Amino acid sequence: MSSIALVGNPNTGKTSLFNTLTSSYEYVGNWAGVTVEKKVGSLKNGAGKLIDLPGIYSLHPLSRDEGVAAQYLIEESPEALINIVDASQLERNLLLTLQLLEYGKPTLLGLNMIDVAKARGIHVNAEILQAHLGITVLPLVARTGKGTGQVLSILEKSSAIPPVTFKLFYGEVVEEAISSIIKELQHTPGLPTLRWVALQLLEQNPVILQFLKTRVDTSRLLTICAACQSELQIKKLALTLPQWIRSTRMDYIRSLCDAALDTTAQKPHNLTERLDSLLTHRFLGLPLFIVFMYALFKTTFDWVGGPLSDLVDGLISGPISDGTVSMLQYLGASNFTHALIVDGIIGGVGGVLVFVPQIFILFLIISFLEDSGYMARVCLLMDSTMERMGLNGKAFIPFIIGFGCNVPAIMAARSIEQPKDRMLTTLLMPLMSCSARLPVYLLFAAVFFPERQATAVLSMYVMGIVFALILCKVFSKYLFKNESSIFIIELPPYRLPQIKTLSRSTWEKGKGFLRKAGTIILAGSVIIWLMSYAGPGGFDVAMDNSFLAKFGGMIAPLLEPLGFGTWQAGSTLVPGFLAKEVVVSTMNIIYHAPDSAGLESQISQVFTPLSSISFMAFILLYIPCLATVGVIKKETASWKWTFFSMGYSVVLAYSVSLIIFQGGKLLGWS
Amino acid sequence: MASTSCSLLRLQPGSTGSIHRIEGMNPILQRRLADLGVAEGVIIRLKGKGPFLGPITLECNGQLFAIRRKEASMIEVNVS
Repeated sequence: MSSIALVGNPNTGKTSLFNTLTSSYEYVGNWAGVTVEKKVGSLKNGAGKLIDLPGIYSLHPLSRDEGVAAQYLIEESPEALINIVDASQLERNLLLTLQLLEYGKPTLLGLNMIDVAKARGIHVNAEILQAHLGITVLPLVARTGKGTGQVLSILEKSSAIPPVTFKLFYGEVVEEAISSIIKELQHTPGLPTLRWVALQLLEQNPVILQFLKTRVDTSRLLTICAACQSELQIKKLALTLPQWIRSTRMDYIRSLCDAALDTTAQKPHNLTERLDSLLTHRFLGLPLFIVFMYALFKTTFDWVGGPLSDLVDGLISGPISDGTVSMLQYLGASNFTHALIVDGIIGGVGGVLVFVPQIFILFLIISFLEDSGYMARVCLLMDSTMERMGLNGKAFIPFIIGFGCNVPAIMAARSIEQPKDRMLTTLLMPLMSCSARLPVYLLFAAVFFPERQATAVLSMYVMGIVFALILCKVFSKYLFKNESSIFIIELPPYRLPQIKTLSRSTWEKGKGFLRKAGTIILAGSVIIWLMSYAGPGGFDVAMDNSFLAKFGGMIAPLLEPLGFGTWQAGSTLVPGFLAKEVVVSTMNIIYHAPDSAGLESQISQVFTPLSSISFMAFILLYIPCLATVGVIKKETASWKWTFFSMGYSVVLAYSVSLIIFQGGKLLGWS
Repeated sequence: MASTSCSLLRLQPGSTGSIHRIEGMNPILQRRLADLGVAEGVIIRLKGKGPFLGPITLECNGQLFAIRRKEASMIEVNVS
């Protein structure tokens, strides 16, 4: 089976093309650094595997996602490459193209976003590009799928893609060094095209050097490089080798672009300019962002999400619950089965499914932010605040994704250039209130703050961000060497997200939630129910004598100072570590609530407004869930930092809840 | 025409200059800028300045991007 790799600059539409060429679906968005891992899919026509790589500007990686792509090209050997270039940014994109051509594998050039280029008055002549570069050039619009059929039919026989013959002349000095390096490496097996290896080595690419070190003695190779560089300096051609190689390539690209590009009718990005003058306005930008966020929350929780959620609640507590009860009676199910299914599963899982509408709307909002291009602007607006806290604005992209789920958000931190910033973002991510914590807020806000639900929920999110910023300052001051952070962000043109893309990306995020409902939440509910059903005295005991009550009772005294020292509250916290949604499932089971209204009235008897705030804050902060712990371990590759992230959140949650409850009491609230 | 060189920050928003020199910049940032085509001799446009002395927006070869003021001040441009 042949494998073909998709390579190109960030945010040029590689994953969009990947999604159309294969039957899989991967995450797309409008910012640089959406794809941070290599993804493998099968081509629709069965002609082989397609590999989607993170976007790179050159083969010399700066951030971890770029490292993935560079590593892949060096260590594995795809049969062919598809190089995707953004037709409206041809000059910059071709710099990578030249390096890929030197790689020597059969290559197709996908000239993507010709619609965007055309709208901006840029005309690219594909024939001229094809003639100069000696490879097939295909105009594409990957987002709509235009031109992708042709790509697929060419890939059908990938062996028929002609080999690359392109060769750029780097001047006698460098060419001589290239031949000497090739001679040195001639008998080393398992290397990609030697001319490419030589050029990457001369360019001082650390990945290739590392790779060669494992196979050959590199000291002679490095001597050749050093000699070549000093010869360039003596002849006053360039200061460094990489500079020389780069400028040789740029000269070639400029002459190529002069021939193939017609920019006489070029217009500025009108829409982007106008939107930017408002959205990134020096005074209005930030307030506008906050107003947007508030409006979005208002829609999610008050206007649309709430009523929809009531519908689902009616459905679960009405027809579904009643239908199951009568069916169980008809089947003559035992009391145990009956209670397990109705109280345990419908109560536990159903209690979470009620919040599906809100969670999906939240995912829709996040998808919209991702696809519109606004996300990068938010980073820009937040940078000066973040800089003061010792981080950079780019960390805000993972933070926003974290409102959906912390797991992909921590992965997204890979596109941050500096290791320190990446580590800080990862460690602080659990403070971003993910969708799993949302049901808790919604439940409590509906009981205690019915008039101001959106405000109550929004303040939980804000609290998470505020603590993240404060801890960021503390961590960067005391835990890390005080290297200053850098900030650079590409601002992609705005675009109106397509309904198709939006619904797809919302569904993909929501699917994870539904899957969780069918697995971990279901399992959690069954276990919790069993623990509430059984006790030291046997089965079907009164809930207060159950194992669950005994277990919750052990934790309860610790929670007393926080205002919720009941075994009921205590017993929700441990299963909540598996998945935060289980907190609400557990409450449903414990309080035997037939529907949300029933649960709400139960809760209003046990909690006070003050202790409910303390409880919400505790749930927000108390610990990253199991899946998040797993990904923190994977990304930091350190148990020390993983335990640190769990430890600090427990301490933080306890202190914050303590201050809220005790402070509130002193102020005379209840 | 006589040209004078000054820091990029001195440009009026919306106007352009050609890059004369980039000095003293963090090497990671400088590489990333080079990736975006920001190099000596290239025309660069200052689009706007962000809030609270925040980053400034620049345009180079049709690509919009933002960097912090401190770093932008290390880019010297020629204006004609």
